Amino acid sequence: MTLAIKKLVRLATMGALALGVAGAASADTLKIGFLYPSPIGDTGWAFELDQGRKAVEEAFGDKVETFFVENVPEGPDAARILNQMAAQGAGMIMAGSFGYMNDGLKLAGQKQDITFIHASGYKTLPNFGNFQTRNYESAYIAGMAAGFVTKSKTLGVVAAYPIPEVVGIINTFTLGAQRTNPDITTKVVWLNSWFNPSKAQESARSLIAQQADVIFSLYQDTPSVVTVAEEEGVYVVNTSSDMKKYAPNHLLASMTIDWGPHFTSQVQATLDGNFKGTAYWGGMADGAVGVASLSSDLTADQVAALTSVMDEIKAGTFHPMTGPITDQDGTEKLADGVAIEDGAMLGINWLVAGVETRIPQ
Amino acid sequence: MTETIVFIIAGTLAATVPLLFAAIGELVAEKSGMLNLGVEGMMATGAAAGFVAVTLTGSHAAGFATGAGAGALLSLVYAVLTTLFLANQVAAGLAIGILGLGVSAAIGKRYEGTTVDALPKLDFGPLSDLPLIGRAFFDHDIMVYAVIAAAIATGIVLTKTRLGLVIRAVGESPHSAHALGYPVIAIRAACVLFGGAMAGIGGAYLSTAYTPLWAEGMVAGRGWIVVALIVFGSWMIGRIAFGAYLFGAVSLLELSIQGLGVNVPSQLLSASPYLITIIVLAVISRNPALIRLNSPMSLGESFRASR
Repeated sequence: MTLAIKKLVRLATMGALALGVAGAASADTLKIGFLYPSPIGDTGWAFELDQGRKAVEEAFGDKVETFFVENVPEGPDAARILNQMAAQGAGMIMAGSFGYMNDGLKLAGQKQDITFIHASGYKTLPNFGNFQTRNYESAYIAGMAAGFVTKSKTLGVVAAYPIPEVVGIINTFTLGAQRTNPDITTKVVWLNSWFNPSKAQESARSLIAQQADVIFSLYQDTPSVVTVAEEEGVYVVNTSSDMKKYAPNHLLASMTIDWGPHFTSQVQATLDGNFKGTAYWGGMADGAVGVASLSSDLTADQVAALTSVMDEIKAGTFHPMTGPITDQDGTEKLADGVAIEDGAMLGINWLVAGVETRIPQ
Repeated sequence: MTETIVFIIAGTLAATVPLLFAAIGELVAEKSGMLNLGVEGMMATGAAAGFVAVTLTGSHAAGFATGAGAGALLSLVYAVLTTLFLANQVAAGLAIGILGLGVSAAIGKRYEGTTVDALPKLDFGPLSDLPLIGRAFFDHDIMVYAVIAAAIATGIVLTKTRLGLVIRAVGESPHSAHALGYPVIAIRAACVLFGGAMAGIGGAYLSTAYTPLWAEGMVAGRGWIVVALIVFGSWMIGRIAFGAYLFGAVSLLELSIQGLGVNVPSQLLSASPYLITIIVLAVISRNPALIRLNSPMSLGESFRASR
């Protein structure tokens, strides 16, 4: 009963909010609805998506009107809100979570005048594209920096679940570190939970107790791990947002995401009437991923080394997963000079030599 | 290796604080016959309110007081529903549990993802400087020790004092207690409020000391573990505390084992704190007579002073 009431209240408030927005819009502006799976907050996934929304507003001014609904659970609620956005005359919808895929596709099939962009899915339609980022590129650079500063030659990763994207990032992080410091070992703690800031902190402390002196906060949406590293005096790398303010002394690098360029181009395509539902996998070359707030403890030479590899990645002359690469069992996975293909990278399920922890089977 | 052992001991002492505070409160409430399943919501509300108070005032004392107040306020809703309107205790408890999660999200909305300074650690002088032992046992904030004192005090009050006897009498047979002239509803309500306040303190510890940040959903199921600990600890404070520390220790051991690269599926490891705590508590609590003796007879039953 209470659940039903909670839902009613939520839907009523969302409806009121969205109606208010719809009422104020004029006929020729493009209305763009944004759905976020979590609260926007100060940092993290939804925050970065919302930065993308702001970039769109800035780029198009009066030509567009954006509105968003945050903290939308995947499933029936998402379907209702998508439909509601369509009913209010949204001409474009950004669905910010993997689990919105099927409901979004269904609506896209029914409403072919609405364009959709969807985070991290794998299905497309002519009016339904998806987007994700090549975070493994920035992870390689962060790994190189970690190799420069580590004294114990032990890196620790706090990760949620062993999905291919996370596995790929751990691989390039380790490979980058091995490039600058050959005898690196990487320890991983799998949280087996998408969201548990306290457990993330405990994991970081357990890795520090096992001599890790660079901690990688991989897809932790809160600054939990970053603050522990600052407190314990070890270096930390994090994903999604710049977290310098949470670890002013010990942030080694933040791997950042910038959705602005992609969102802007897709809005432009919608305005021009030539939107194509593409699968976008943005990397450093597109300005979609980058490295920010490099620690001032890195020497000028070290920073120059990082920059030159970044330039190679941007230019397409270097792929972080280039052989010779062997997996944990010593099997050669990529021969000398061979770079991994996109399809293999998307489904990667093995860890490189040097990572101590196994992927749970 | 010694570093890992120090990490587990020190970590366990801190990780258990929120659980044990909430468990002490829930034990007292249940001893009076009130089964309040809303611990998760009360902890979340206490965490959010405490965090906001620390952000605004910079005082951790204010944070714990606000957390306790918020938890108590939420439990007041439960107390009114169950004692005055005779609502079903299970349903009312679940309702305020869900309500509490929503309230915590609303309170913490503007503070999502922000941090505060952690509760400072006590300085024991030479004791804190002892090798290993100093860092394991004497490098903590005050609440780590306060919760142990609170557990002991609660045990003494419940078993050795007149107040405890009255609470237990109300929990065993509210009608008899009523016939003896005790204000059953007032006592039950007070125990529920105490439970709410303690859950609120536990939550506030989580958000202002243990993981000094606010993120919606950060209580992450601890309230349910508390409810389970009471039952599996057969309503005895010693066993409940033991269970709480065991749970904390196994949780941290699990993380350490992963880092050591032992090839055990991490999903199994993640389940191990729950499994081991339940198995151990079930084994030490296998005497059914003892359980009957300690479980409050009227637990979950509404009381109406009739005739």
